[in-house]
Amino acid sequence: MNVIELENVTKFYMLGETRVDALRGVSLAINEGEFLAIAGPSGSGKSTMLNMFGCIDQPSGGTVKIAGTPTDHMNDKELTRYRRTKISFIFQSFNLIPVLNVYENIEFPLLLQKHLTKKERDERVMKAIEEVGLSDRIKNKSTELSGGQRQRVAIARALVTKPLIVLADEPTANLDSATGTKIIELMKTINATDGTTFVFSTHDAHIMNEARRIVHIQDGLITDDGKTAEG
Amino acid sequence: MLTLTLALRTLLKRKARMVLIGILVAFGTFLLVFGGVFSASAKEASRNAIIENFTGDFILYSKKSKELPSPFAFNTPLPVIRNTERIEEELSKIGGIKTRTWYAQNYGLIEVEKDGEKTDLPFIFYAIQPDSYKDMFDNAAIKEGSFFGSGATERGILISAYQNAQYKENSGIELKTGQSVRLLGVTEGGANTVSSTMLGIFEPIHYSSVFNYINFMDAETYTELYNYTGVESLPDDFNAALAAATADEDSLFALAGDDDFGKIDVDSLTSQRLSGYTMLAVRLDDSSKADEIRKQLESIPDLDIKTASWEEASGFYAQISLGLQAFIFFATTLIFLIVIMIFMNTLIINVVERTGEIGTMRAIGAEKSFIRNMFLAETLILNTCASLIGMAAAAILLAAGSANGIPLPDIVSQFLIGGGPVPVTITPAPFIIAFAAVIAVSVLATVYPVSVATTITPLKAMNDR
Repeated sequence: MNVIELENVTKFYMLGETRVDALRGVSLAINEGEFLAIAGPSGSGKSTMLNMFGCIDQPSGGTVKIAGTPTDHMNDKELTRYRRTKISFIFQSFNLIPVLNVYENIEFPLLLQKHLTKKERDERVMKAIEEVGLSDRIKNKSTELSGGQRQRVAIARALVTKPLIVLADEPTANLDSATGTKIIELMKTINATDGTTFVFSTHDAHIMNEARRIVHIQDGLITDDGKTAEG
Repeated sequence: MLTLTLALRTLLKRKARMVLIGILVAFGTFLLVFGGVFSASAKEASRNAIIENFTGDFILYSKKSKELPSPFAFNTPLPVIRNTERIEEELSKIGGIKTRTWYAQNYGLIEVEKDGEKTDLPFIFYAIQPDSYKDMFDNAAIKEGSFFGSGATERGILISAYQNAQYKENSGIELKTGQSVRLLGVTEGGANTVSSTMLGIFEPIHYSSVFNYINFMDAETYTELYNYTGVESLPDDFNAALAAATADEDSLFALAGDDDFGKIDVDSLTSQRLSGYTMLAVRLDDSSKADEIRKQLESIPDLDIKTASWEEASGFYAQISLGLQAFIFFATTLIFLIVIMIFMNTLIINVVERTGEIGTMRAIGAEKSFIRNMFLAETLILNTCASLIGMAAAAILLAAGSANGIPLPDIVSQFLIGGGPVPVTITPAPFIIAFAAVIAVSVLATVYPVSVATTITPLKAMNDR
């Protein structure tokens, strides 16, 4: 099953009088359970493509389908609901809510899904915390954690809602290489054990080689879509 | 609960900024409450001072009068009320009247001799019924002599200490208690003189800025001085012919040439001694019924009277406390506007600083209403706490002031409430109004910052490195 489909997607921005084409007719399908890297240099269109996957940006042309449903005619409320239930994000700068502790940050997206009971939330949060190995940091504020620990919290927050897909925009960019590798390994393990689809962007060759499928993008066009040796 | 947790922790995280805003809001609330209670207390004190000492609940006066009656203003004396007995009769039929007293005001001269030469000193006199006036009003502190004798029944005059001192300073003439004086009054028929006695010297207790210039005279002396005697009525045909002739000049001259006109049978006329009263101050058992009783009196046929409320009769004095209220309202509104602007600015800074956080929440699935509620909760928590502190501070200060009243400079106090400290009347209304205003203003102040916050897209969170 295709979790995400892009059909001839274009995206341009206006920088003053200048038109910048971020995506120039991109078509791509991502299957359930994939562990996919989008690779390319800065300004190639990686982040724009991830934004399309995550329903946080709308294409200028073409169609984006999430779980088979086109999103181009959805309003803000519908897109928000889609993000809340089907998509999770891992940000380059972790983007934890500073006033909440580890447990609360992970619980936050569940609280937005109002149908869950306290017990259900608690079980899910504790499972996610165990998965990322932060059981001893439950009460810590994000400011009391290292970069790697913060990104683990972000991963737990992304997983706790049991999303269709987890999108990670350069998740290791703000981490040292050893920590970055551990984070990718963690994501890979979760992908292998839970079957969660991961799509991450990177320009780090070492990190991208951890992916089972790499989509290369340059100047807004897919230049290569292939599998790694591992994949 | 999540919204409240986030709001509370965000406030605590930005302590210094929020404390500053809280102090401003608390100060604004303090001013609103203190100003509200103070102006309401001043209004009540002013009302009581005027009603209890000068006007009663309303003043009844001649229908012919073109001006409002006022114990506070000294224009041309008002027309004399001729049917005092009929009015008394009608008043006795109406229930709810506590006390009443007749009075009039007029200019008069006191003739004194200095160095063998006669000098006339001008005075403004209240002609009063001393006993009923004393029963109803307490506005003169006797410095020398007495208030028209022990039973308030003696005839004579009482002079203001201030005016006596002024004449002593300017003319070297000082009136003394027990001194015989000659009064001069100007009537339609010319000047009239009456002998009288200085019964005492007093100081006004209230509104000394005005009542330093007021002096008292008993009604009997006043009637003699101003020659208030007359005839009960002229024949009907005389009145009818006179009314018809005033239509044009020719008719009037024709009437003057008519030998038969104006021949009055003097034997048929009844001599009537008039009091000269121009006003009747009426105090009610229940002041809230003043309008109802006034309407009732004014609707009585041929009573020929009008009535004026205590506010109308006080001239501009009742308006001073209203003016003060308006000023306090204006000043606090201005301060509040400044607080709102600062508050709104701070919120916008908060929004800008939290772009990443807001965008992240939106990316995770928070709807715009969640962001809106979060900011609203922050504002309400902060401003509710701050306004409660402001109200508590105002309540403590007002409670401290309620024992002895709020002191004011004498000149301000005299104009505002007739003198003395402002007695504090604490009612819930200013507190409720202040709290409601703070909440309403808080909500309004968040409108723009929240609209900015809700336009933050998840994309901004992705780009917020």
